[in-house]
Amino acid sequence: MAAPVTPELEAAAERAQARRGLLVSLPAYAYLVVFFAIPLVIVFVVSVFGRRNPRGATVYGPPTLDAYRKIFEPGPDGSYLVLEIVWRSLWLSVVTTIVCLLLAYPLAYYIATRTPRVRNALLVLVMIPFWSNFLVRTYAWRVLLGRSGPVTAVTSALGLTDTPMIFTVNAVLIGLVYGFLPFMVLPLYAAIERMDWSLVEAARDLYASGWQAFRKITWPLSRPGVIAGSILVFIPAFGAYVTPEILGGSKTTLLGSYIVRQFLQARDAPFGSALSFVLMSVMLGATIVYFRTGARNL
Amino acid sequence: MVLSGVTKRFGDVTAVDGMNLEIRDGEFFSLLGPSGCGKTTTLRMIAGFEYPTEGSVRIQGREMGLEPPNRRPVNTVFQSYALFPHMTVAENVGFGLKMRGVGRSEIAERVARALDQVQLAHRSDARPSQLSGGQQQRVALARALVNEPAVLLLDEPLGALDLKLRQAMQVELKELQERVGITFVYVTHDQEEALTMSDRIGVMNEGRLLQVGEPEAIYERPTSRFVADFIGHINLVTAECAGSGMVRIGDGAEVAVPGVQGAGGKVTIALRPERLHLTAPDADIPAGANRLRGVVRRRVYHGDGFTYEVAVAGTVLEVRTENTPGLVRYEAGSDICVYWDPSAANLVED
Repeated sequence: MAAPVTPELEAAAERAQARRGLLVSLPAYAYLVVFFAIPLVIVFVVSVFGRRNPRGATVYGPPTLDAYRKIFEPGPDGSYLVLEIVWRSLWLSVVTTIVCLLLAYPLAYYIATRTPRVRNALLVLVMIPFWSNFLVRTYAWRVLLGRSGPVTAVTSALGLTDTPMIFTVNAVLIGLVYGFLPFMVLPLYAAIERMDWSLVEAARDLYASGWQAFRKITWPLSRPGVIAGSILVFIPAFGAYVTPEILGGSKTTLLGSYIVRQFLQARDAPFGSALSFVLMSVMLGATIVYFRTGARNL
Repeated sequence: MVLSGVTKRFGDVTAVDGMNLEIRDGEFFSLLGPSGCGKTTTLRMIAGFEYPTEGSVRIQGREMGLEPPNRRPVNTVFQSYALFPHMTVAENVGFGLKMRGVGRSEIAERVARALDQVQLAHRSDARPSQLSGGQQQRVALARALVNEPAVLLLDEPLGALDLKLRQAMQVELKELQERVGITFVYVTHDQEEALTMSDRIGVMNEGRLLQVGEPEAIYERPTSRFVADFIGHINLVTAECAGSGMVRIGDGAEVAVPGVQGAGGKVTIALRPERLHLTAPDADIPAGANRLRGVVRRRVYHGDGFTYEVAVAGTVLEVRTENTPGLVRYEAGSDICVYWDPSAANLVED
């Protein structure tokens, strides 16, 4: 026999519901703590308490910001190598994001405006590259852009240049755009596909030309997709390691490779940790700013 | 506005079939029909969202041809309102003026006046999502009317509102139309809406325009079985011509129907339930009236009246009576007499 409901009983039921919710999400929380939060703390501890001794081992002492200071100091040859690398990584990932957006938007728009059958076929095509390994696909670009590759053959036949593109910044850019393009296409497609097309008709009805209707209606309403896609491309591009390692040269070192080098070759774990931490902070900051400005204009 | 020979085909499907229609300046014209009858497609061809497969659309004497929507002197109120969610109410209403390059101060002035007209001046800074359904509807109206189009197209604009609000908006819309004097072309599947608001109605079915006329003509003198049946309740009785203005129905009873000629042919006559009267079997009836004896099968109470199903002469007729003081009620199973004036009957085509 159930008792009549009182405010206390209702509160108890709500608490029980919240407990059940927590229980269900516990595996995800545990995963994030073990593989994300704890490593983050370790990186932070190493960057602040660690020092590199002359034999390349890390020893611990009182907290210091020496590792962070090193980022902004000129190297032995007087050049600001680290800042240069950060700057190069930053603009390369920004350019990658912009190029991806320019390529992906028309494609996503085209896919979203097809009949459902054609649409699904095209989406599968967008995702097909994921069926093979990223590393293998990046090595394929090495062949395509290499000395005896088709791209070099075309540029020299056109009399443009005989120098292969491989190991240049442009090769890295092509590799990054190629690798991250689907991450831009999919959120854009999702945003455009769920748009209410009667809004575009309404704009056309209210004297807007096709281009004006796009600028005033379609573009602002697809902005959530633009934001999501840009973040999904910018963040991995900023920290990219595999693509610049394979397609880039010694003059195009990016932040990801440079951090790896601190750990594996220079054996300076505190400096590598400090760089990693700065990288994450910049990405977090950029993401927050981007989300804020995007959300406000929505 | 004139549509001549307008046909629209989507692949094998003919949505609109050879439509000829003239809509007069300043009139409230309704296109009425069931869903899928082609009325919305017709509207979209006037607006320029679709182009006719064949035929011509002329507005203010100008051939529209393949002109895009932004170069037509018409504006549309969409079924879902289609308000821009990322703009304020004022920005929504001012959109058309801005696109036409009207000056900023004039836009502000005209927007304010348009919002005033629909009693929403106080919500000009709100987003559409913060408004109720009725308010969104009025913003959509203001957004179209502020451009002073030659013709305003309305695609079931009241469909999403609840009954009370819908009825209030019907009155408001009609008043607004009379005030601004703009031609309204109103698409609806709701016959009551069409009857109460329109100057004229065009009834459509399966892509064809069946009858055009004033609401009373459409209701009182339908020319086809579809129009008679679609609008209101009606008794459709198949009969055989018996000569000298008489027809034979069901088991052979003869009734007078004006306009019937010859003998032996089959006709369908239409009788509105409220034009039929009930009385006791041997009571006196007006001279010249048709009378049939029958039995009450069922009585349904509607609050403002009763509907009787009466079995007469081998067929069943629906009879509607108003709930007036002193009304005599007949129980199911009682013997009864149905009578009507011959002029109440209408011949319709099948």
